[in-house]
Amino acid sequence: MAMETSDPLFPVRQTTLCLDIQGNKTDIIVSSYEDHFLVIVTQIGSMGTILHARKEEGVSIDPTFNVAVVFGKRDEPMLAACARKLIEHISNSGSSKALVLSLGLRDHSMGTLKGIVSAVIEKLF
Amino acid sequence: MNSNGGVEIANQSMNELSIKEQESDESVQVTCFSEFSDDVTLHFQIIRLHKQIYAWIGCNSAKFGHLYAAAPTRPSNNVSVTSLIGGDSDNTGLGIARRLVLKTGLNIVLACNIPKNSPMLEAKAEKKLMEKLISLGYIMRKI
Repeated sequence: MAMETSDPLFPVRQTTLCLDIQGNKTDIIVSSYEDHFLVIVTQIGSMGTILHARKEEGVSIDPTFNVAVVFGKRDEPMLAACARKLIEHISNSGSSKALVLSLGLRDHSMGTLKGIVSAVIEKLF
Repeated sequence: MNSNGGVEIANQSMNELSIKEQESDESVQVTCFSEFSDDVTLHFQIIRLHKQIYAWIGCNSAKFGHLYAAAPTRPSNNVSVTSLIGGDSDNTGLGIARRLVLKTGLNIVLACNIPKNSPMLEAKAEKKLMEKLISLGYIMRKI
């Protein structure tokens, strides 16, 4: 169940969601700032690994994206892939906001990450 | 027999209470508020996770700003702090993150868009944030 949790006068809109992904209780909070989306996904009570994903301003028609781990595990390509999927979706929906994604997960399996991507895209964006 | 029944009921209620406490401890809590004064509006967003607190401080705008992470370093009382996004030449917010952890012992991730060279504003934001963290019961004020 997704819940909007901010007062309409507050400049940052937030939505929280709690669901089960592959047997793990997962809290997802999406906050929308002026120039960024912050997506916190946690199963372990903390933010875990934090990634920063941006669309590059380029000359060509197809956008390119830059995804970097700024805190935490730098050797888990699935986490970066998750961030890339989400920034692509943000870009395709017409926004040029960047993304800060935090993934505090019990497992980094394909199933979990796919579940996270679809929950975020479907229910929150 | 009556007293035994009474004890059972009391035990059951206590078990329910402690389960509820655990659940509320583990659920995510989001708090937002704004402070208006002089010409400046400060916005605060606090997201409390079970083992960590994320906070955002906005000064007049909803830009994300720079991102910092700070945590106590065991076994000494040192605090480690680092900037994650932005914050290379402009470290506004770094001091706030560091002092928050120093005073509270919490594990904190802080985003802050306060402009540089505004020490009064920084101090005010830090004070408001501390007050709110205390009033939410996330920390006990260290004596």
